[in-house]
Amino acid sequence: MSTSPLPGDASNDPTDDQTGRFVVQPNGRVRPLSPHLQVWRWHVTMAASILNRMTGGALSVGAVIVFLWLMALAFGPEAYATFTGWMGSPLGLLVWFGLTLALCLHLAGGVRHLIWDAAVGLSPKTADALSWASMIGGVVVAVAFWAFLFSSGRVVL
Amino acid sequence: MSRETKAFVKGVKVSDRHGAGEWSAERLSSLILVPLTLWGLWSGFTLSGAGYDAALDWFRSPVNAVLLALTLLVSVWHMQMGLKVIVDDYIHKPGSRGALLGLIGLLCILIAAAGVFFIVRLALGSAPLPAGFGI
Repeated sequence: MSTSPLPGDASNDPTDDQTGRFVVQPNGRVRPLSPHLQVWRWHVTMAASILNRMTGGALSVGAVIVFLWLMALAFGPEAYATFTGWMGSPLGLLVWFGLTLALCLHLAGGVRHLIWDAAVGLSPKTADALSWASMIGGVVVAVAFWAFLFSSGRVVL
Repeated sequence: MSRETKAFVKGVKVSDRHGAGEWSAERLSSLILVPLTLWGLWSGFTLSGAGYDAALDWFRSPVNAVLLALTLLVSVWHMQMGLKVIVDDYIHKPGSRGALLGLIGLLCILIAAAGVFFIVRLALGSAPLPAGFGI
């Protein structure tokens, strides 16, 4: 029994429902549609989880860049100068910053998921707090890392 | 028939095939990567803007070389598993799925093998490539 009013022209009778909330299963039974991204209410735990996957994907590109750094170093001073010429340019530094950000967010997000996987911190309130903490913490560490890099004079624009 | 078999641990249904192992492996690799990533951030900081000679010096330390090789191998392992999950989730056509997973596997093996090769050469202080490799 539904207690809240249904939106628009929705009907409780699945056979004449027009909203697409119901689907006919392969066995012929009519069942409600599972919640897909487009119809799901935004939530911070969802955003944090998606962010973890996105940063993971970005870090695969980062792995290739770090591999190229290793390769340039192994190929001698000229190859290394070419590499640092590209990756030390303003655009290259922006890429490095993006990778640092992705790394810090993925690290913090990974720790968050490890905590959840240990069946800890799963109440809605704690889960929300952990999601915010991991995202804010990741950004803070990445920004602090680059603030120290610039202030120590190791990196200049 | 084998798909009908059900394994239970402490009254909880667990995966019949290799899903549970993949799940555990991804957690194990991330657990190992937590300290390695912090060390990697620190190393990246010290190597930033340090130049070619300082980078070579850094590799002469066996601790650095071993930790970097370990970080590379565990990262590639973790990356392969992570990308596999993404492909499994979004690519449903068996042909494209298999081809993509094969491509990812090849790339991971290439990064791991060539990466360790470079690290070993740098740690031993070998002459810059392509020394002795043609050209």
